[in-house]
Formats: sequence, structure tokens, C-alpha cells
Amino acid sequence: MPSYKLVYFNGRGRAELSRLIFKAAGVPFEDVRLDSSKGEWPGEWKAKAPFGQLPLLFVDGKVLAQSKAVARYLAKEFNLAGKTSWEQARCDMFIDEFEDIGAEVYKFAFEKDEAKKAELSGKFNSETLPRHLGYLEALLKENNGGKGYFVGDSLTWAGLGIANVYDLLGGTDAPFAKFPLLLALVKRVRENPKVAEYLKTRAQTSF
Amino acid sequence: MPTYKLVYFNMRGRAEFARLIFAAAGVPYEDSRIEMNGWPGEYKDHCPFGQLPVLEVDGKVLAQSIAIARYLAKEFNLAGKNNWEQALTDMIVDEFTDIMAEMKSLWFEDDPEKKEALTQKFNTETLPRLLGYLEAILKQNGSDEGFFVGGSLTWADLGLVSINDLLSVACPGSFNNFPLLAGLIKRVRETPRVAEWIAKRPNTPR
Repeated sequence: MPSYKLVYFNGRGRAELSRLIFKAAGVPFEDVRLDSSKGEWPGEWKAKAPFGQLPLLFVDGKVLAQSKAVARYLAKEFNLAGKTSWEQARCDMFIDEFEDIGAEVYKFAFEKDEAKKAELSGKFNSETLPRHLGYLEALLKENNGGKGYFVGDSLTWAGLGIANVYDLLGGTDAPFAKFPLLLALVKRVRENPKVAEYLKTRAQTSF
Repeated sequence: MPTYKLVYFNMRGRAEFARLIFAAAGVPYEDSRIEMNGWPGEYKDHCPFGQLPVLEVDGKVLAQSIAIARYLAKEFNLAGKNNWEQALTDMIVDEFTDIMAEMKSLWFEDDPEKKEALTQKFNTETLPRLLGYLEAILKQNGSDEGFFVGGSLTWADLGLVSINDLLSVACPGSFNNFPLLAGLIKRVRETPRVAEWIAKRPNTPR
């Protein structure tokens, strides 16, 4: 088994999906969390970062950057990426959609003008998010009536991805109120024994 | 061979990457282009997320432009020879996506003064920095005539050609200080199948 080191800040952010993949697969890894206020980032790490950013994955010392590329590499290594080339592409499609949702959140999450922030988050909650979740609910339903997973008949990183979106949206059921199949899938994923174990003990962070 | 249909608008945009991959692989496909006034129209209901492009493979549907490009690259052995190489190509393609995201945030800025300031910053600071990272990867590979990953053409190299389509219009001269990137773009554009596609593809503003 190779040695894995994941380097990020002390938060879920763009590393949590990879952490969930490690945990769901039961694969140990060094979970490095840098404290910028102590100068740990940039520190010596930035020079090792192919694009000057975190997260980074080190596999036996070789480095990989870009959070989705890292997560996909791990998902494929641990058979959590879909069983055929087509299934892998479908997983990729869902992951890209989750990224689109995240990008919408980031548009207002860092907005300093309170009035503008309220306007943007209002539009997100009333219009943008329900539209995205609606598409996801319909796609989930197409696969075995939505009783299982997004792709195929077992957990993939797409399922871990929607659980990660649940956390990004605040970790409450409210955004999913009108999307029962999605909410049930999120619960199923969170109740997966290895995932549940991780959720009980993971660091509580602000992002 | 499966039947492929790529559906998008009549422009390069988010579908050109997939078109370049089909071209480089020499694989035929239906290059379906919907006119803007024909959208949303009926086709939108076929789209998993209500957007284009969409790829139909023997009638099964795939959305999200990069997922489409990656699927095709893997099918046509243009994605890297093992999981690690594939991950490196993914990493590089994600960086192209980040460059495009930076450009989009410029385009959508309405305030003219802000837009001017952001554009300045993009052209003099952000873009050179990001291209610099990509140039460094080529340099590390150690060959003047190299490719991004594994010593041969992958979709990462085709992605560079695709983003060059965009940058050469929006930010002319952006590769002037990056000889390895510029050299790679030229070499890939001149490979026979890619050159043939570039010569015959519809000439659209974007």
C-alpha cells in the first residue's frame, strides 16, 4: 500500500471529499492541516504546489494538485469511481455539478457588502439551488427509482460528493426539503459504517 | 464503434475540447449545433442539467463538458496510460478550467472601472502566473518537444490548444513569454488530424 499524505487547511473546503473517500475506503492517510496564522501556509509548502494552491496529495512522495483530480485518483484507486468507463463518466458528471453548486455558494460566501450578500444568497436559496437539486433528484430517480445511488448499484464518490454538498449547505435537512430522494441518499451515505465513524470524530471547523 | 453525437451551440465554447479530441483520435461523430434562437426548445429536456454541451453515445446521455472530454479521451487512449498519468492530465485540465473561470469573472463584471482594473490584473498578474505554472511542468518534463504527460499526446495537450483558441482572441500575445507552451500549441495544431479539423471547422466568433 502506498503512503498517502493529504495537505490542506484546517477545514472541509476542497479537501473533504478526498478525506471522505479515504475514510469510506478504509485507507489510512496523513491528514495534514496547515495553520496560515502560524505561517505554515505558504511556508515551505507553496513551492511544492504545482499551481501554488492547496489541497495537495502526496503518493509515495509524488505530488498531485487540483482537488477534483486528487479525489478522482483516490476514488479510482479504491474502486469508488464506477465500474465501467461509462459509469466513471457519469460520476464525473455529478461531481462537476456539485462543483457548480459550490461555485455558486462561493460567489456570496466571501461577499463583504452585507446587502449584496443577502441579495445573492437569497437568489441562490430561492432559485439557483432548487434548480440544481431538482436536476439531481430527477437523475437519481432514473437510477433504480432513486432508492440506491446516483450511478450503478453501490456507493461511489458521487454519493460521497452529495453528502459533502449537504455539509457545504450548512449540514441541515432544510435545503433538501423538496428533494426527498436526495435527502434519503445523503442519509444513506452518512450512515455507511465507515463514513458514520468518521463523521462522529472529525474536527468541527468553520468551513 | 458506438454512435456519437455531440450537441452544442454553433460555436467553439465548451464543446471545442471534445471536438478536438474526436479530431485527434480520427473518430467520426455527429457535430450537432443548435442555433441560439432554437434554445431552449425541445432539446433542453434531454439535458441532465438543462445545459449544453451534451454527448449522446448510442443514445445514452452525458453532460458537463469536461466529463464528456475525459470520457472520450479515455475511450480513445488519449487520457494517460495509468491512473497516475490520468490524474496528472486531470490536474492540468482543471487548471485550464480555473483560467477560464478567472476570465469569466472579468466578463461578468458590469462596472466599467472595476472591469478595467480586473482585466489589468488578469493580464499582468493572474494569467502570467497561471501560465507560468504550466510552463514549469513542461520544463520539468525535460524535453523541448514534449507533451504535458507521459511523453505523448493526451487530452491535456488538446486542452491547451482549446484554451489557446479563447486566449488568442481575448488576450492576444499571452503565450509570448512561455516558449514551451507556445511550442506545444503549435506542434499539436500542426499534427495532421488536428490541422485538418482547424482548417475545416465552422468559423465562429467564439
